[in-house]
Amino acid sequence: MLVITRKLEQSIVIGGEVEVIVLGVTKDGVRLGIRAPRSVQVHRREVFDAIAAENRAATETKVPLQDAAALLRAAHAPKAKDR
Amino acid sequence: MNPPLVLPNDDGILISFPKGLLGFPQLTSFRLYEPHDGYPLKFLQSVEDPEVSFTCINPAVIKPDYNVPLSEEEAQALSLESPEDALILTLVVVPEDPRQMTTNLAGPLVLNGKTRVGYQIVFSSEKFPLRFPILPQD
Repeated sequence: MLVITRKLEQSIVIGGEVEVIVLGVTKDGVRLGIRAPRSVQVHRREVFDAIAAENRAATETKVPLQDAAALLRAAHAPKAKDR
Repeated sequence: MNPPLVLPNDDGILISFPKGLLGFPQLTSFRLYEPHDGYPLKFLQSVEDPEVSFTCINPAVIKPDYNVPLSEEEAQALSLESPEDALILTLVVVPEDPRQMTTNLAGPLVLNGKTRVGYQIVFSSEKFPLRFPILPQD
């Protein structure tokens, strides 16, 4: 991992188009500003980790799919517009 | 894990996810199946690793007002010519008590129905819950 020391209001540039600026440092945390094209998704690491965990959970269906589907059909049948 | 029931002659729909799904970046080719008696659930089975199969749903069935706000860049990445070509799927988690099943509105899969290419989009807003209950809660 590349490690760089930066002071307040200094920045780093990644790939020529993403800039990360140190906006503030307190004992509780570092405040960062990020300039990036809209095509670059910027999220807290926890957001990606949480979605990855839900993805994994969606591969571990605990009951037969048909049983779960029957519960859904009973609850949502009148609204079903899927086909 | 219960293997999903696959109709013997059902090849599903081949869909490519060039960037994979979060946590599964190495799996980029999937088949989307609608198993017999499985409506409204579908599953997305990896071609590279058939042990991996995601339960999913068209969220319009359970939350008709769910909208995925796509940026212009995301629409371009999907080569979407018109919004009608976009198909949305959300992943479904079915726990041991299936009445507690939820779907992930924070990480929808957006597919181009014509090119059959898809991406997982990430939202970090409270408007898009990670665990949205899909059965009425008592």
